[in-house]
Amino acid sequence: MAAVKRNLRQRVARRVAGDLVARIDELEAEVQENRNLNLRVAELVDLVQELLIPVASQDRERIDAALAKFQRSL
Amino acid sequence: MSAAAPKVDAVRVDDRGIWFRTGDGGDDVVDVCFDGRRVWSFWLQRDSVPGDGGRLAGWPSALVRFLDGSTRLSLVAHVSGATLYDEEVRLGTGEGRIAVVSPEGKPLGLDKSNRLSQTFDSRTPEQVAPLLDSIAQVLDAISDAGVEAFLAYGTLLGAVRQGGLIGHDSDADLGYVSGHTHPVDVMLESFRVQRHLGELGFDTYRYSGIAFRVDVIEGDGFRRGLDVFGGFIAEPVGDRAPVLYLMGEIGAPFEREWIYPLTTATLEGRTFPVPANPEKLLEATYGSGWRVPDPAYHFETPRTTVRRLNGWFRGIRVLRSEWERRLSQHRGKPAPDRGSALAELVVAREGVPAQVVDLGAGRAGDALWFARQGASATALDFVPRAAEAARQAAVSEGHDLTVREVNLLSLRSVLAEGARLAHSAGPRVVLARHVVDATTPAGRAGAWRLCEMALRDGGQLYLEFWAGDGRRLHEGQLLAAVPTAQVVAELEARGAVIVHREEQQVERVPDTPEGSTGRTVARLVAQWQR
Repeated sequence: MAAVKRNLRQRVARRVAGDLVARIDELEAEVQENRNLNLRVAELVDLVQELLIPVASQDRERIDAALAKFQRSL
Repeated sequence: MSAAAPKVDAVRVDDRGIWFRTGDGGDDVVDVCFDGRRVWSFWLQRDSVPGDGGRLAGWPSALVRFLDGSTRLSLVAHVSGATLYDEEVRLGTGEGRIAVVSPEGKPLGLDKSNRLSQTFDSRTPEQVAPLLDSIAQVLDAISDAGVEAFLAYGTLLGAVRQGGLIGHDSDADLGYVSGHTHPVDVMLESFRVQRHLGELGFDTYRYSGIAFRVDVIEGDGFRRGLDVFGGFIAEPVGDRAPVLYLMGEIGAPFEREWIYPLTTATLEGRTFPVPANPEKLLEATYGSGWRVPDPAYHFETPRTTVRRLNGWFRGIRVLRSEWERRLSQHRGKPAPDRGSALAELVVAREGVPAQVVDLGAGRAGDALWFARQGASATALDFVPRAAEAARQAAVSEGHDLTVREVNLLSLRSVLAEGARLAHSAGPRVVLARHVVDATTPAGRAGAWRLCEMALRDGGQLYLEFWAGDGRRLHEGQLLAAVPTAQVVAELEARGAVIVHREEQQVERVPDTPEGSTGRTVARLVAQWQR
């Protein structure tokens, strides 16, 4: 009886460990997905910050010049 | 590593590398000198493999093409300076002396990453002076942008350890620690500093969200690139210590007071800014053994630091160096003089379009061909200098060809170019030949976004790529086949409609070894309907 219990405990422990490893992998991937947002947010904020004012002017030449200047600065 | 010379005997040198016997004790770093000049350094254990009862340190690939002739080869323990081996050797079948030099005859050596460069130990003080001028110039320019930068990495190490440049190093690094604590703010600051340097007239090249290179043209016309690495101190979490992250290797518990206010150190007789406590930064960079020279140093950056730096800041130049290298092989060659099969498909379906955008243009053969047919052509690539010959040909022939840099992995770049194209009226054809199979899924997403914007006023997207299961066509080949169904699904998910689809078996892919199996080339035509 004791051997059966021990065997059962070991099988449960193995399964729990396996589940935990899988969950850690998943969590690591999720953390990295979140970190990846930083660069995208920074790029978007930079673009908006640099181009919003020329675009708001509705002056075609000013917008074209701002786009060209922005591209050169990348 | 110790100041005592390592025990090395029974050395044999042949075309495979340097074979030797050494004790089983600790590891040690040795310099390999050809005719008395260091060309390479390696760790006896770490950089060798067991074989024939001893160990073999194979020749680094960058050195192999020079190894044809004779040289006086010596092995010198880097720390103690003891000579472990010193013999005349002959490699390959050449008769002359082995000369590890640049095409201009400048002496070259391998740096710590086994890259060939003109290391400082082969430069005279007169040759080093322009570098020092460039460092001062770039530091001033960064300071002008409101950020206090300092000597970093090997340049800081040399200044603190010996008051000079490290012999086996080849360039200078600068760093700064932002006052911001959030990665987004730190990147915005880096973008601003780069923009400011551009306004001051410097050419720059971005590596990541917080690191870029500044090019300085020195007196003799030499273009020198100085790397500027941004960093920041992350807000402490709970009762943990604040952590400094400095691109591209550092993540360590740190105090801002160890950096600012900056102090100064001497480098080759000149005074430069360094962190308030440079020893602390050097320990965070190279570990507690930073005082002992190591010309073959390898960073062992903790996985957690790599993951953080990758996750926050990297991902905008995947495969870029590889394509830069590949396309540089065409430097100086004349522009391509004919259009591709994809260009022929465009003409067969709709004649010569008024506006053509060649996305991922490479050498811009198709863009030039269309410009010669009277189209207004725009060549876009993240290695725009590859299109230089085509651009010059168009200028001299009076054709309308514009070359611009676009990085499909950078949202700023894609959106700005997309807006620019959308802003010029009229339908156009976007041609993307071997873009799908040259970039990553993120690059493809950028391409679709750009095309969607560029084709807002109508027009069609023409794609050509190797279709298949994602395997590289052969080693060294940068293209990896992509399933056609996947490309179709990606385009449809972005609102495109596929109006033409063809697949063609190609007997053998050009530039692949004899006997390679055939491949499938896919051509798709898509459009956005609004």
